[in-house]
Amino acid sequence: MTLAHYQAQFDQMLVRDYFPDVIQPIRKKAFSKFLETGFPTQKWEDWRFTNLSHLKKQLYRISDSRDLPITAPNSSTYTMDGVETLVIYNGHYQKELSSIPNGIRVLTGLEYFHEKSGRIETAAENPFDLLNTAFMDSGLSLVIDQNTNVVTPIRILFISSGVDPIIVSPRVYVDINESSSATFIEHHVGDAAAIFQNSSIFISVTENALLNHIRIQSNSESAQHVANLSVNLLRNSQYNFFQFAQGSGLDRSNIRVKLKEEGAQCTLNGLSLSAGNQHLDSQILMDHLAPNCTSSQNFKSILQQSSSGVFNGRVIVREGAQKTDAKQSNKNLLLSKQAGMNSNPQMEIYADDVRCAHGSSTGELDKDALFYLRSRGLDTLTAKSLMIRGFAAELLDSLKHEGVKHYLTTAFDTWIMEKNKK
Amino acid sequence: MLEIKNLHAGVEGKIILHGIDLNIKQGEMHVIMGRNGSGKSTLSNVITGRNGYEVTAGDILYKGESILDWSPEDRALAGIFMSFQYPVVIPGVNNTYFLKAAVNSKRKYNGKKELDAASFLKLIKEKLTEMDMEAEYLQRAVNEGFSGGEKKRNEILQLLCLEPELSIMDETDSGLDIDALKIVAKGINNYHNEKRSFLVITHYQRFLKYVEPDIVHVLIGGKIVKSGGKELAIELEEKGYRWLEPA
Repeated sequence: MTLAHYQAQFDQMLVRDYFPDVIQPIRKKAFSKFLETGFPTQKWEDWRFTNLSHLKKQLYRISDSRDLPITAPNSSTYTMDGVETLVIYNGHYQKELSSIPNGIRVLTGLEYFHEKSGRIETAAENPFDLLNTAFMDSGLSLVIDQNTNVVTPIRILFISSGVDPIIVSPRVYVDINESSSATFIEHHVGDAAAIFQNSSIFISVTENALLNHIRIQSNSESAQHVANLSVNLLRNSQYNFFQFAQGSGLDRSNIRVKLKEEGAQCTLNGLSLSAGNQHLDSQILMDHLAPNCTSSQNFKSILQQSSSGVFNGRVIVREGAQKTDAKQSNKNLLLSKQAGMNSNPQMEIYADDVRCAHGSSTGELDKDALFYLRSRGLDTLTAKSLMIRGFAAELLDSLKHEGVKHYLTTAFDTWIMEKNKK
Repeated sequence: MLEIKNLHAGVEGKIILHGIDLNIKQGEMHVIMGRNGSGKSTLSNVITGRNGYEVTAGDILYKGESILDWSPEDRALAGIFMSFQYPVVIPGVNNTYFLKAAVNSKRKYNGKKELDAASFLKLIKEKLTEMDMEAEYLQRAVNEGFSGGEKKRNEILQLLCLEPELSIMDETDSGLDIDALKIVAKGINNYHNEKRSFLVITHYQRFLKYVEPDIVHVLIGGKIVKSGGKELAIELEEKGYRWLEPA
C-alpha cells in the first residue's frame, strides 16, 4: 500500500518534471530497484535497532508550489556569524535570500549534470539512496576549482515548514578540486509538522585538497530525516566532518567514506542530543582502500527521557592498505533510566601492518562528581549542566570556525537548559 | 559553630557511627584520629550531606540549626566545606569555569555582586601564588591528570576561594610528600583565624606537627573514646590505638 503510494507520487514526478529526458532513465532505474527491495525492516542487519514504522505508515506527497513560503521565511532566527548562506525552503531554492561567496561555483542539479556530461556519482547502498535518486528534487551543487582557498564557510540552510506530510529529496554535490579548500555547512531547521527529508550528499575531495563539512540537524521533532553521505578522498586530501544532531523524531545518517588514494585523512566527529521519543542513528562505513591513510571517528550521544540512539561504526582496512591508522570511539551519556543506546564499533582488517584502535562506553553521570560539585555550592541543575557540557567539550572545542562554534555552543547550552530542568 | 549530638549514622543499611558527640566552637580546630574503618569518612560525608548516608538517631546543628534535611549545596553555601580525601576527576570541566561558578554561587547566596571574569582572575591568581601553583592549572579540567599532591593543593585552593566558616579536612595529609604537606599546612594556617573553625580528620600524627589543634579526639568503632590536647596525638603515635580499644 505504501509502495503503491510512492508509485503514484513517482508518476506525478515524471509528468511534471522539468528535468530533461536524460534524467528520466536514472530515476526510473532507481525507482524500480527501490520497488524490488522496499523499505528496510528490522530484520536487516544494519537496521536492527531502528524502527521505520512511522515513516512507512505516513503517506507523503512530493513537494510542489503549495509548499513555497507565503511570505519570505525569516531566516534571521538561524543567523550564523561569518558564513555565507544559500536558503532552500521545503525543497525550493530561495535565491533572493541567498548570497554566494567568491571562489565557489553554485550550480543547479541540471547544470552540474551537464558539466559532468551526465556522469554523476550515484549510490545504491540502501533503499534511501535509491529513493533519493528517484525523487531528487532540490539541492545545489558546490564546485571549488583548483588552487582556490575559500575562507568563508558556505552554508546551505534547509528550512522545512508547513503541516502537510511532504517528502523532500535534496541532492548535493560538493567537489573540491586540486589544492583547494573550503568549509561547507548543511543546516537543517524548521517547524514542519510531518516532513520526510531524504537527502543525499556526494563529496569529492581531490589531491591536496581540504574540506571541512559541518552538519547541523535541528529539524522539528516531528520530522523524519534520512541523510545519505558518500565521500571520496583522493591523494593527500583531508576531510573533516562534524555532525551536530538534535532534531527529528527519527534521524538516520548513512555515512560512507572511501579513502581511495595514499595519504588521505578523514575525521568524523558527532554529537547527538536526544529527548522525548527521538531516535538518532549514525551508521558509518570507513573504507580504507589505499596505504598510508588516517581516519578517526569520535561520536558522542547524550540521551534524555525515553530517547534512543544507535552508533554502528564499521572500519574496513582492505588488503594492501598498509600503514593505515584508524581510530574509532563512541561514548554515550544516559541522563534517564528510560533512555537507551546501541553502540557497535567494528573493525575488519585485511592488512597486517596497521594501527587500529576502537572503544565504546555508555554510562550515567558520575555520582561522585555530582556530589563534588554540589559540595562546592552548585545546585543540582548547574552541576549536571557543567558535567554534561564537560562530556561534550572536546567535540565542541574542536570546531575551528568561531561563528560555527558559537552557534553550536549556544544551541547545546539551550538544549541542556530546556531538556534537563525538572 | 558545629554541634553533633548523639549521632548514629551509616550507609547501605550498615550503622557505622554509634553515638558521636562533638562541639566545635567558632575559631577552634579539632582533630579526629582513627584507623581505617573507624567511621572518620562516614562522619565527614554525613556532615556534608552525601547521598546514601543515613542518620538514624541524633542531630547535627550548624550555627544552632539542624542541617540534616539540607542539600549538600545548601550546606556549602551556608559555609561548610570539605576537602575530599579522594578529589574527583571531572573530565571536560574547566577548573576556572567551575571555580568561578562556585564562587559566584556563594556570592549570590551572601547577597554580594557576582565577580566578572577579570575580578575572578585577579582573585584566583592571588590564591594560586599562595598555594604555589602554576597558572597553567587554570586551563585544565578539574583534577584531570593531577598528581596526588596537586589534587590536595587544589582542594585548599578551592577552600581559599570559597572562604568557608567550617572546613572539614578529610585525610588531606595522606599521600602527600613533605613539601606538599608543608604547603597545604601553610594554606590552612594562613586561613585559620578566630572566626573560622576546622575539623581535621587524619590517620597520622605527622600532620599535627604543622597545625595547631585545640582538641584531639580518638574515634574507634564509630565512637569517640577519648579527647584531649595535642599531647594525645603524640601518645597515640607512641602507643598506637590498641590501648584505647574496648577489651
